[in-house]
Amino acid sequence: MQDYRDILAEILIDETTLHKRIRELAADISRDYRDKDLVLVCILRGGIVFLVDLMRQITVPHRLDFMAVASYGSGTRQSRGSVRLSLDLKADIRGRDVLLVEDIVDSGNTIAYVLEFLQTRQPASLAVCTLLDKPERRETPVPVDYRGFTIPNKFVFGYGLDLDEYYRNLPFVAVVDLGKYHPPSE
Amino acid sequence: MQNYHEFMDEVLVDEKTIGKRVSELGAQISQDYAGQELLVVCLLRGGMTFTADLTRYLTIPHTLDCMSLSSYGFGHYSSSGNVRVNLDLMTNIEGLNVLLVEDIVDSGRTLAHVLQMLKTREPRSLKVCVLLDKKYRREVPVEVDYVGFDIPDKYIFGYGIDIDEHFRNLRFIASADLQKYKKIH
Repeated sequence: MQDYRDILAEILIDETTLHKRIRELAADISRDYRDKDLVLVCILRGGIVFLVDLMRQITVPHRLDFMAVASYGSGTRQSRGSVRLSLDLKADIRGRDVLLVEDIVDSGNTIAYVLEFLQTRQPASLAVCTLLDKPERRETPVPVDYRGFTIPNKFVFGYGLDLDEYYRNLPFVAVVDLGKYHPPSE
Repeated sequence: MQNYHEFMDEVLVDEKTIGKRVSELGAQISQDYAGQELLVVCLLRGGMTFTADLTRYLTIPHTLDCMSLSSYGFGHYSSSGNVRVNLDLMTNIEGLNVLLVEDIVDSGRTLAHVLQMLKTREPRSLKVCVLLDKKYRREVPVEVDYVGFDIPDKYIFGYGIDIDEHFRNLRFIASADLQKYKKIH
C-alpha cells in the first residue's frame, strides 16, 4: 500500500477543524433533542469514526443502532438505488426520534432509500446528520438537518472514509491525487 | 432517564488511562505486524468505540470490517453458547492477518465460537484484542493476544459498553450499583 503522503493532493479539513465542528454539531443536537427519545443510527462502515466522536460530545440520553446496506448487482462505486439491507436495526424505532449519522452524503441515493424505509416504521421524527456534504453530486434530494462541512466534488479520504478500504484511520479529511494513486491489486 | 451519577459505583478506568493504554496497544500491534497488512474486525456494537480509537494509533496498512453477533437462547450469558451471525464480514479473510477487536471478554463463549468459525475460512493469522478482560468469568479457554485492562467481576458501562443501550458515549469505564439502577424501557 502507498503511503498516504504519496497520494495526497491536499488536506481538506484538518484534525482541529474537524473536532471543533463536531463539538458544535453535538451541541446543536443536544439542544434540539432535549427531552426526546433519541436514537443515533449509523450506516456501516464509513460512519463509525464520526459517530464515535460525535456521540462522545452529545450530552442528552440516546441509544445507538446500526444498519448495513449493500447494493444489488456488481460492486460499483456509485449505488443506483438498488439497495439491500444486510443488517437491520436491533430496536424498534416507532415513536422514537431517529437521527441518521453519515460520514458523507454524495449521490444521496442510498440515504434517500434508507430514510424512506425508516419512515415506514413511524418514528416520532427522522433527521440526518452528515459530516460531509457533496451537493454537486446529488442525484436524489436528501434533507440534511446537521451538516459538518460542504465540500467540493473531489475524491476524499480519511477520517472514516476509505480508498479501496484503506486510510480510514487518518485523523483528517484529504483529497486524493488520482494521478498518483495506484489501487491495490486484487 | 436516570443520570449515571445516581447509580455509578466507581470509575474503574478513567479517560486518560484508557487513552494511554489504547495508544500502547496500537503501537504494540503496529510493531507485531510490521511489514504486513492487517484486517481489523470490529465486533459490534460494544467494540465500536475501542476500534475507532485503536485504529487511530495503527501505523501499519489496515482495512476494517464489522461483524454483529448475538447468542441463541435467553439473555447474554445463559445460552448454549451458540452464536448467531447478524452481520457477516464483507471481506474474504482467506490468507489475511485478522485481528478481532472486542470491548470485553467474560465467559469467552462467544469469542471461542467466532474464532472457530473464522478459522475455517483459513486466514493467515487470527488474533484477538480486547479492551477489558473479566478473567474470573471465563468458562471456556480462549486465547486473548492483546488485553487493555483486567477488570473485576462487576457490572460495567461506558466507553462503548451500554446499560440497556444507554451510556455508551461516556469517556470512562465505570461500575454500576444495580440496586440503585432503574431499568430503562
